Amino acid sequence: MLSFHLLSAFAAASALVLYTVLVVAGRRMSTLDETSRLFRIAPIGGPLVGAGMGLALVFGIILALKSADFEIWNGWIIAAFILWALVGGAGGRTGAYYTETQKLAEQGHEAEVIARLRAPTGALWHLATVAFFVLLLLDMIFKPGA
Amino acid sequence: MLALIRTHDIDLALFVHVGGAMILVGGLLTAATAATVGWRDESSALRRFSYKTLLAVALPGWIIMRAGAEWTYTKEHLNDLPSDPTWIGIGFTMADIGGILLLIALVVGGIGMWRTRQGRGGDGLLKASAVIAGLLVVAYAVAVWAMGAKPS
Repeated sequence: MLSFHLLSAFAAASALVLYTVLVVAGRRMSTLDETSRLFRIAPIGGPLVGAGMGLALVFGIILALKSADFEIWNGWIIAAFILWALVGGAGGRTGAYYTETQKLAEQGHEAEVIARLRAPTGALWHLATVAFFVLLLLDMIFKPGA
Repeated sequence: MLALIRTHDIDLALFVHVGGAMILVGGLLTAATAATVGWRDESSALRRFSYKTLLAVALPGWIIMRAGAEWTYTKEHLNDLPSDPTWIGIGFTMADIGGILLLIALVVGGIGMWRTRQGRGGDGLLKASAVIAGLLVVAYAVAVWAMGAKPS
């Protein structure tokens, strides 16, 4: 069960790394042709982060329920639920921003697409998502209060 | 929940190890995906993107992961055991062989990048580099499984 929990977390983390690379690369793009290449890589990230986060939560709850050492209402586990929701919330905002940007790219609005990729909005939402994920990882490893 | 019973003094080392491994696997996955998506493209842009990701993300991730592994191994006094448990053996084998394969992918891809810039082909070498990255994603998934299941 711990293996599945870990593999799920790694799937989500891999998607976040992929999105980080795309966000950083996107800031240096100057033509629609270049951006369309990046948007071709992105689709794998959605299912990975969605399934990874969902399954990590499910396996995590099962682990907590089956464990003799922890209870599901322990502070660090409650903190994990909150951080999980924050990752989902910030990730959702990031996804919406870049999905809109992709639609604009498909409609050929080059200047607007380049401006959105260089604007701090999407990058900051992504940074928040990664920061919440790192805090979640710290919480899982350090287990404060346990 | 990375380990149900362990002391807190290895937490930082374990965080470095796991964090590095996540960067490594993410970098490999990104590189393999970019090359797969751009496999039949006339332009080598995505294959070059794949190589740069291997160099700038996967390699630093491997270094952090491997340093964290050694730090955790020492902090947990696993080096005092008469012989390594199976899961440690799988972890070190995957990490070290994976590191060599990553290095080969970087050298092969580096030559491919150079040849592409010279206009002398090089796409095949960039593709070979990405194939190794894809194989490493699978290998490291097995290593992650071993770290969690801890087969004795």
